[in-house]
Amino acid sequence: MSHNGSTFRYLGKGHRLIEGLEKITGNAKYAGDLSLPGMLHACLVLSPYAHARIVAIDRSTAQAAPGVVAVLTADDLPTRDRAVNSRHSAVLAKDRVLWRGQPVVVVVGETEAAARDAADRVVVEYEPLTPIIDVQKAAAPDAPVIWPQGLPKEGADLTAAHAAVDKGEQETTGAPSNIHDEVHFVRGDVERGFAEADVVIERVYRTPMVHQGYLEPHASVAEPDLYRGGVTVYTSTQGQFSVRDEVARLLSLPKHKVRVVPMTIGGGFGAKYGIIDPLVAAVAITVKRPVRLVLTRTEDFLSTTPSPAAIVELKVGARADGTLTAIQARVLMDNGVFPFTLGGIVGILLGGYYKCPNLRIDCYEVLTHKPQAGAYRAPGAPTATFAIESTIDDLARALGHDPLTFRLQNAAETGDPMGNNDPWPHIGLKLVLERLRDHPAWKDRQVGPNEGVGIAIGGWPCGMSPAASICRVDTDGTVRIHVGSVDISGVNSSLVLVVAEILDIPPEQIELIQGDTRSGPFAGPSGGSQTTYSVAGAVAKAARAVREKLFEIAADHFEVSVADLELRNGMVSVRGFPDKAVSIGTLAAIAESKAGGPGPIIAEGSAAVSENAPGFVAHLAKVHVDPETGQVTLKQYVAIQDVGFALNPTMVAGQIHGGSVQGIGWGLYEAMIYDEYGQLLTASFMDYNLPAFDQVPDIEAVLVENPSPYGPFGARGVGEPPITAGAAAIANAIRDATGVRMTELPIRAEALWRAMREQINGQSSTPG
Amino acid sequence: MATITVTVNGKSYTSEVEPRTLLVHYLREHLNLTGTHIGCDTSQCGACVVLVDGVSVKSCTMLAVQADGANVLTIEGLAQNGQLHPLQEGFWECHGLQCGYCTPGMIMAAYDLLQQNPEPTDEEVRHGLEGNLCRCTGYHNIVRAVQYAAAKMRSEEVPA
Ligand code: FES
Ligand code: FES
Repeated sequence: MSHNGSTFRYLGKGHRLIEGLEKITGNAKYAGDLSLPGMLHACLVLSPYAHARIVAIDRSTAQAAPGVVAVLTADDLPTRDRAVNSRHSAVLAKDRVLWRGQPVVVVVGETEAAARDAADRVVVEYEPLTPIIDVQKAAAPDAPVIWPQGLPKEGADLTAAHAAVDKGEQETTGAPSNIHDEVHFVRGDVERGFAEADVVIERVYRTPMVHQGYLEPHASVAEPDLYRGGVTVYTSTQGQFSVRDEVARLLSLPKHKVRVVPMTIGGGFGAKYGIIDPLVAAVAITVKRPVRLVLTRTEDFLSTTPSPAAIVELKVGARADGTLTAIQARVLMDNGVFPFTLGGIVGILLGGYYKCPNLRIDCYEVLTHKPQAGAYRAPGAPTATFAIESTIDDLARALGHDPLTFRLQNAAETGDPMGNNDPWPHIGLKLVLERLRDHPAWKDRQVGPNEGVGIAIGGWPCGMSPAASICRVDTDGTVRIHVGSVDISGVNSSLVLVVAEILDIPPEQIELIQGDTRSGPFAGPSGGSQTTYSVAGAVAKAARAVREKLFEIAADHFEVSVADLELRNGMVSVRGFPDKAVSIGTLAAIAESKAGGPGPIIAEGSAAVSENAPGFVAHLAKVHVDPETGQVTLKQYVAIQDVGFALNPTMVAGQIHGGSVQGIGWGLYEAMIYDEYGQLLTASFMDYNLPAFDQVPDIEAVLVENPSPYGPFGARGVGEPPITAGAAAIANAIRDATGVRMTELPIRAEALWRAMREQINGQSSTPG
Repeated sequence: MATITVTVNGKSYTSEVEPRTLLVHYLREHLNLTGTHIGCDTSQCGACVVLVDGVSVKSCTMLAVQADGANVLTIEGLAQNGQLHPLQEGFWECHGLQCGYCTPGMIMAAYDLLQQNPEPTDEEVRHGLEGNLCRCTGYHNIVRAVQYAAAKMRSEEVPA
C-alpha cells in the first residue's frame, strides 16, 4: 500500500492479534484468574433501596459464620475520612444509601462461597427515604434536592476526560438544585433562523441508560505490602495510572506506594477506570492479606457506571432549497447520584455535524437516585446522533430532497464550527457520505414489502494525550517495546507494526511489554479513541532512535559512514556490498561489549500530539418490519468510516464490526430500566438484551483513508465513531419501511407495533 | 463434601467438593483451569462453555458432582501436542476475538456445532451460537472463524 508517497512493508497490512495465542488457548490472565498465596475473597452487601438511612448494621451472625475473616463497614477502612462525591469515592456507604446497588458492607472469607454465604447473614436496618428517580421531576425548580448542602467537596472524577474538546462554559446556579451543571452554546439568532425556515421539525427524543456490557465483570486483586506499607493492585482496567491516582488519593497513600498492574482486560468500553479498586485495596490493607473481588453480573449491573439516560428536545428549521437555518435544543442528562458531564459533548455534536448559522443549545446535568453515570464508547454521541439524524432525515423528506444529498449539502467541513463554536479540526464527513452515495447498498437499493433503508452519519472528536515509550534490541534480535498504555482494542497489534516498519523486521520478532505504574512509561488511559493515535508517535520515535544507534554501531563495525548503510530484513548492510551485512542482534551484542560508542541499544520516545483527529462515519441499515408484531429484522448493515490511515486494517475493521453492533444495541435492544422506586428491573443478561448472535447481520466495514495531518502516519481515532450512527440509521430505516417515526430508544417491537397501530387509526402522535 | 472423579483434558482427578459447587467453579478454583470464564449468573453468556462427554454444556449450569465419572474438555485441552485446533486457528486468523473473554466458550460451543453440522451455513452458525454473547467483535468475524475451521476440518481450502 502506498501512502503519503511512501510504500510500507508492514503498516497498512492486516496482521492478527499479537496476544491471540494466549487468548485462544485459555492462557490469557484476566484479573479474576489470579490467585495469590494466602488470598482471601471479598463479597459485597449492596443496598436494596435507592434512598435510605442506614439505621444499624448487625454483623455478628456473619462474623461467626465458618470461613469468615472480616465483615467490614465504611468506618473500618482507611478510606473512611474521604468525601463521598463520586462513584469511585463511594467505597462503602456511610450513613445513607443513595442508589439501589450501592455497596454497604464487605465480607471477607477464606473462599468465595464462605464470603457469599456470610454476606447473606449481614443484617442492615434501613429507614427508607423517598428517592428522586424521574429526571424531569428532579430538574423541576420545586423538586426535593439530593444534595441540599451541595456535593461534599474533594477532588474530581476521573472518567470525564474522554474527548479533548472544550465542553463549554459550565455554570452552577447558586440555589440548591439537582441540576449540577449547565452548558449553553449560542450562535447567531435562532428566532430569526426559524422565521426564515420553510419547514421546522420539533420533537422530543429519549435515550435510555445503557450499560457498557463488557463480558468480563469488574475484577480486582489487591496485595498489601506489609513491610513498606502500600499496595499492589492487579486489575481489569483501561488506565493503570488513573486507577493508581485514585487509589492513592482515597487511601491517603503517596502514589509511589500504590502499584497498579493492568491484567488482560475482558472489555471496558469506558467503564473500567477503578470502580472497585479503592475498595479492594482498602480491604487488603485492613485485613493484611491479598484480597480478590469479582463482581457477579448482577452486582456489576447494579453498582457500576452506565451511560446516562437523556431527553433531547430538538427543533430544526430548513429552507426549501435545503439549507439549514436554525438548530435549537434543550438537553436533560440523567446522571444518577453523583455529577457526570456529557451534556457539553452532546451539544457539540448536535450542533456540529451540519453547517447552520443559528444555534441555541442548553444542556442540563441532573442528579437522581440512580448509579452515577459513566463513559460508554463515544459517550453522548449515540444520543446526539439519534436526535439530529432522525430530524434531518424527516426534514429532507418534508422538503422532498434526497436524504443523502441533503446531508451532503449541509455537512460540516474542516474549520466549520462544532456545537460549541470551536472549529472542527481536519475532518472527512463529506468523504464518507460520498462513499455511501456511490455504494451499491444505497445507489442500487431495492426494498421489498415492509422493508426500508435508512442512513445516518455520526462522528467523534477523538481524544489525545502525551505518551512515552522505550524500545530496545536484545542480542538475539528480539526487539522489545515498552508502553504504559492498556490494550483494549488491538492497539498493541498496531504498535508492533509501527516498529516492524521502522526497523524492517517481521512483527513476530517484536515483543510488546505492557508496563504497570512502576515499570511502564507514561500513557493516558485507553479511552476516547486516543491510544493508537497518542502512543504510536512515541513508539515511532523510540524505534527511530534505536535505528540510529544501530546504524552508528554498524558504521563503526564496517568502517563506513552511516549514509552508506541500509536496514533490510533485520540486517544492516553496506549499500552495494550485500555480503557486508550484520544482524541487529549481532549489533546489539557488539554494543553491549564494546568500550566507547553509544552503549546498549535502547532508546526512548515521547510524543504529545497537538491536535485531535476526529473520525466520521456514514452507516446504512436495511430493515424488515413485521406488520403483525412490530418485530424489526436487520437485513443489511454497511459502516463506512474515515479512519485516516489504518495502521492495522484487521484491527480497525474489528473495531467497526463491534462498534456497529453496539450501535445496533442502542437502536433495538438495550436499556437499563428503573421503576419509580429506583429498583433496577434489568439487572441480568436475562432482562438486559445485549445484541445476540442471531439478532444482528454481517457488518460490511468500509475504510476510507483520509489522512489526519497530525496523527502518526495519518491515523485517526477509530474505536468510538462506529457506535455513533446505528440507532439513527435503524430509526430512519424503520421510518422508511413503515412511515412511523420512533423517538425513543431502544425501538422495541411492542412500541413500534403500537405506533403503527396509531398510524393506521389515523391518530399519529408524532408530528412531522 | 462429596468425592468425585472427573477426567479433564485427558487427566483424571479425584476431588472433594461441596455438593453445591458448580462445574465452572470446580474447573477454575480446584483445578486452576482459568481458561473457562464466567460472564454472568443467569446462564446467558456462554463464556463458561465446556464439553462434557463430547456435548457442549454451560459449566455454570451444572454441578461438579453431576460431572462425576465424566470426560470434560476445556479450552486448555483443545490443542493437541502444541498443534492448534482448526477452531483456535480460525479465531486467530480471522480475528474472531478481541478482548478474548468470550473466546474459550465460543470456541467450545462452535466445536459442538461443527460436530453436529460440519458444513453449516452462516445462518446456521449464527443460530447455533446464539447462546454465546460477545460484546467486542459484533460476531461478524466469529462467523468467518467458524467457517474457516469447518472448511479446514473438512480438509478443504479455507475460505478467503
Ligand atoms: S457464565 Fe455460564 S452462561 Fe454466563
Ligand atoms: S472478544 Fe470480547 S467479548 Fe468477545
